[in-house]
Formats: sequence, structure tokens, C-alpha cells
Amino acid sequence: MSAFFQQLINGLSIGSVYALMAVGYSLVYSIMNFSNFAHGGVIMIGAYIGFFSMTAFKLPFTAAFCFAAFGAGILAVAIERIAYSPLRKRNAPFLYFIISAMGVSIFLENIIIASPIGPTFRTYPRVFSAAPFNIGGVNIGRLDVTMFLISAISLAVLVFIIEKTRTGMGIRASAYSLRASALMGVNTDRIILIVFGMGGFLAGIAGILFGMKYTVYPQIGNITIKSFIAAVFGGLGSLPGAVIGSVLLGIIETFTSGYLSSQFRDLIAFVLLIFILVVRPKGLMGKITEDKA
Amino acid sequence: MSKRVVLLALATLLTLSLTLAGCSKPADTPAESKEPEVVKVGWIGSLTGDQAVWGTCELNTVKMLFEDINKNGGLLGKQIEVVGYDTRGDATEAVNAVKRLTSQDKVVAVIGPNASGQAISISAVLEEMKVPDIATVATNPKVTVVDGKTKPFNFRVCFIDPYQGAVAAGYAYDVLGFKKAAILYDVADDYSQGLTEFFEKYFVEKGGEIVAKEAFKFGDVDFRPQLSKIKNAGPEVIFMPYFFKEVALSANQARELGINAVLMGGDGWPSEVLLEMAKDAIEGSYFVNHLDFDDPDVQEFKAAYKAKYNLPVELNGYLAYDAVQLLVDAIKRANSFDPVAIRDALETAQVKGITGQINISKDTHNPEGKDAAIIKIVDGQYVFQQKYSAK
Repeated sequence: MSAFFQQLINGLSIGSVYALMAVGYSLVYSIMNFSNFAHGGVIMIGAYIGFFSMTAFKLPFTAAFCFAAFGAGILAVAIERIAYSPLRKRNAPFLYFIISAMGVSIFLENIIIASPIGPTFRTYPRVFSAAPFNIGGVNIGRLDVTMFLISAISLAVLVFIIEKTRTGMGIRASAYSLRASALMGVNTDRIILIVFGMGGFLAGIAGILFGMKYTVYPQIGNITIKSFIAAVFGGLGSLPGAVIGSVLLGIIETFTSGYLSSQFRDLIAFVLLIFILVVRPKGLMGKITEDKA
Repeated sequence: MSKRVVLLALATLLTLSLTLAGCSKPADTPAESKEPEVVKVGWIGSLTGDQAVWGTCELNTVKMLFEDINKNGGLLGKQIEVVGYDTRGDATEAVNAVKRLTSQDKVVAVIGPNASGQAISISAVLEEMKVPDIATVATNPKVTVVDGKTKPFNFRVCFIDPYQGAVAAGYAYDVLGFKKAAILYDVADDYSQGLTEFFEKYFVEKGGEIVAKEAFKFGDVDFRPQLSKIKNAGPEVIFMPYFFKEVALSANQARELGINAVLMGGDGWPSEVLLEMAKDAIEGSYFVNHLDFDDPDVQEFKAAYKAKYNLPVELNGYLAYDAVQLLVDAIKRANSFDPVAIRDALETAQVKGITGQINISKDTHNPEGKDAAIIKIVDGQYVFQQKYSAK
């Protein structure tokens, strides 16, 4: 029985990493209707900001955490201004946005490889003790608990902003229809910047946590393919959907590895994904397009 | 000196123009026969990209050794020169480089590359141009043998992946006395699969038991689902035949889950990064390597290289060194610079290299029964245990 709970904890922990990344995707998708593939690059830069804050500048974890989050937020806004805004002004087709996003993602990865930072793997200094909590034979890592709490708090704050504030109302309105909101006097340009800023902020948090849990390297962004899938699984554009999709994907992967065979992990996870999309094209929590976010 | 360079350049140009003009006998050009001939040997490998450190070290090694040979009167009375081309870690580039070396530079043999993917792809050109190649650290079996057929012009100085697996299994069972092993491997990687297959085969043949065999896919960072399963199977040793980044992550996660089994791996392990990322987790682990860096046999070369280039020698440097030794021996025994004669001599080569005795087998073109070095990680240092060969 303890094996079961251990795998459940493993799955939750993997899922919470996917969730932090997937929410950023979904947030941007809900407003802009395109998949922001540059998100992975922003996560990667966030991980590097956190890493160098702690090693080169010897800052404490909390300061590094803030730098990573705000740094990544600013980067995401800059990307919007440089790579998407001109397209938006010209009403370019969505395919162009996706290609531009891929360009940014490849650019970010290669700028790190070409810079003095280089392609080597970096390891965060240890902040949390490696010794796990042991509850009834189930090992729970301290970092995992911290990550879970930070993810939960960040997501709660995000939901609060979206549901309870004026800006949030603007975001919800823009998600419903960008054009109609603009006609109603919502400053959609500002809303888009805020959404990218928030997405980047979450990406920075995801980056520093991911870096601490695993390692820092220029290809971190590739892992976001899983969180993108989780976002689709949960229903692109829906924030609760992104969270639920991520946690479910994490748990499905873990249980496939644990009880069937690790070779079947991706096979089963993706067959299930396709099945759900065929049966429910909008994903688990997705609503019809006219009613999203 | 400069005059000779100019003449050589002219000769090359002339040769090239003649070749392009359709003349099939560029050797007749008068400039070449007048000059004391310099024999060219090709080298290919990565000089740019993420494997540049290793490629640069190989080329430096070959250059250094050729300078020594030339200083001591050359080879068969002739001076030898290395022509090195960058493959950028790309198989297509490697093919182009070999084409250029064989048709344009007229090299008598090629040394390198270090990576199996590139070494496998150049065979067709080598066979067409009838020039032998000695790969350095390309450990995939298919570099020299495909579908039971030996490639006539491909050789290598390193042992192969299955052999590493066999060595690890033998050492784990016979020397360390482990009876229950688990394997975690990369299902998307030939190297990892090769090691896994032969570790399993030899370990079971010896009477051991594989209690768990779990796979992951390149790019994964979380191995806890697989490791949790391995933990429940209760192995004494976990074989991890993949590269240092995944080794570091999986080792850390194994310890986090409370797994105390000894970890073992292959030549994908040695790296400074591994120690940095997982110093505590891999303490007491073992891995199979091509040589012992502290072996008295390699100290002379290590010091000479350091003095000349002010850089530490990478693993590749030692194998490039032995590739040169093997080639020089073959040329001497063939008593000729004819590439086919060199190839024939390589087939029966028996050379004592700095990485071990290299007896090339005619059937596989691999150094058979070459000793592997077993390294243990003690107090965050790579400590040589013993030479070990699988029978």
C-alpha cells in the first residue's frame, strides 16, 4: 500500500511542475488564441536568473525567487512587444504568431548556448534539506512540499486577480472577445501586457523551482511540451483545466510507469489524451469557444 | 619551409584543377614528384558545437604525436601531416569531410570520429575510396560490424557497448558479490540499450537475478516512478547505463526515495558535472571506463599534452593517442603508404596502447578482450579499482 501512496506523491509532484507551466500557456491562450511556444524559453531564463542570483550574487532564496519571477515577467512583456505586438497591429494570421513564438524560443535557447554561460548543466545550491519526510513508509521531499505550496499559492493569487479585481474583469472580458472589449473601452493593449506579465511571472516561478528540483540547462523549455499537452488535456484557455490536466497527466504517467511498464508511459498517456480529445474536443474543463476562460 | 608550403599549395591546386578537368592521374603532376613527399593522414571530429572539447583534444593529440614522429626522422623516411576537418557533430558533415579527405587531400588513412553516429555513416565513402578509418571513442557495435558483416575499412581502438555491459555485470557479480540487480535505462538510446542487453545477459548467465528493469526516455528529468518500483524490488545494485546528467538526476532521486543500493554505470559517467550535481548520491558507486587516468602508462602523455597545450587531456585524447599508435604500427608493418596495404596490416594489429593491449580481431575490427578500468567514486574523487576484462 505504501508503494501506491509513494507513486501518488510522485505523480502529484510531477503534476504540480506541469501545472505551473501549463497555467502560463493557458493564460496567454485565453486572450490571444495562440499557443505561446516562447513560454518554455521564458521558464528557462527564469531558471538561469534564479541560479545566478543565488550563486554569482549570493542572494538568499527569497530574493532569487523574486528576481526570477519579475525578471521572467519583464522578459515575457518584452517578447510580446517585440515579437507579437507588430503582428497584432497588422492583424496577422495566428499561424504567424506561433511561428514567431517558436523563433523566440529557439533564439532564447541559442543565446544562452552561445553566451559565456554555455550549454553546461548547472546545479542550484541546496536550500532545502535532501532528507525527505517519511510518513508511514512514504517519502515526501521537502522541496516537493515547498513546490506544491508555492504553486498552490501562486495559482490562488492568480485566480483572485482574475475573478475579483477590475483588471481581472478586463481580462475575462478580453478572453470573451478581444475586439468587443476594445469597443467597450477596455484598454486591451494594457490587458495583453498584463496577461503576458503574469504568464511570465509564473514562468519565472516555474523556472526557479524546476531548476532547484532538477538542473538548469538551455533546453529546459523542451519539458513544456508536456505541460502544453496537459493544458490541451485540461482544456486550453481554462485555468482550472490546466491545473487539473497537469495533475492528471502527472499521475497517469506515474501509475503507468509504476504498475504497467515505464516503456508504455508516454504511449498510454498520449493514447488517453487523443481519446479524450476525440470524445471531448475541448478538453476536460474546456468550454465552447464563445464561453472560454 | 614557406617555399615548400607554397609549392604544396600549388601542387594541391594543380591536382585539384586536373581532377576537375577529368584527369584521372593527378599523381603525375611534376611538382609533387620533385618535392620530398609529405604523407597526409586525415582526422575528423567536432571542433565546434557541444562536443568541441573532445574533438579539439583529439586533433591536438594527433598533431603532437605527428610532430614527435617527424622530429625523429618521420615514418618510413617520410614526413607525416594531419589534415583535420570539423564535422560539427553531424553525420552528413562527416561524410563530406571524408569525401574531401580521400579525394582531394589524398590521405592514406583517417582517424576519428569519436561519435558512433558519424563513424557509422562514413563507411560507404571509405569503401568506395578504399581508405581505412580508425575511430576513437565510437563504441556502438555497428561502427565496424553490421548484420554480421564486417565493414572492410572501419576499425576502432575502443571497446564496444556490449562489452562494457558484460564487464559491469562480471564485476558486479564476481568481484562485488551482488546477486540481485536492477536496471534503469534510456529506451530511446542505442548506447544505453546495448549496455543493458549485455549486462542483463551476463548477469543472468552468471547466476544473478534482474529484479527490475525500468526504462525512461531521453529528455526525462523525473525518474521517481521507475525508481519507486525498483525500490520495491529490493536490488543490491542498480545499473545506470546512460549519460551523466540523467545519472546525476536519477541518483539524487534514488537517494531521496531512500534507496541505498550501489549504483553502477558505463563510460557515459565520468564528468566534472556529475560530481558537482550529485556528489553525495553517487558516493560509493562504480563505473566502467576506458582507462585509469592515474595509470602510470598514461602519465607521460598527460604531462606532455599539458605542457604543450596547457589543457587537461580528455578521455578522447588517450584513444586518439592509441589510434595513432595503431596506424603507425600498421604502416610500418605494411612497409607502405598504400591505404589498402595499411588496411590489411590493421587487420592483424597487436599494439600495446596506453589504454590497454589492442589486439584487432580480423572478424570484427574491434580490439578484442581489451581491459576496462573499474572506477569507484570515493570522497567525491574518481578512484581506480582495477583492470577488468570480461571473458
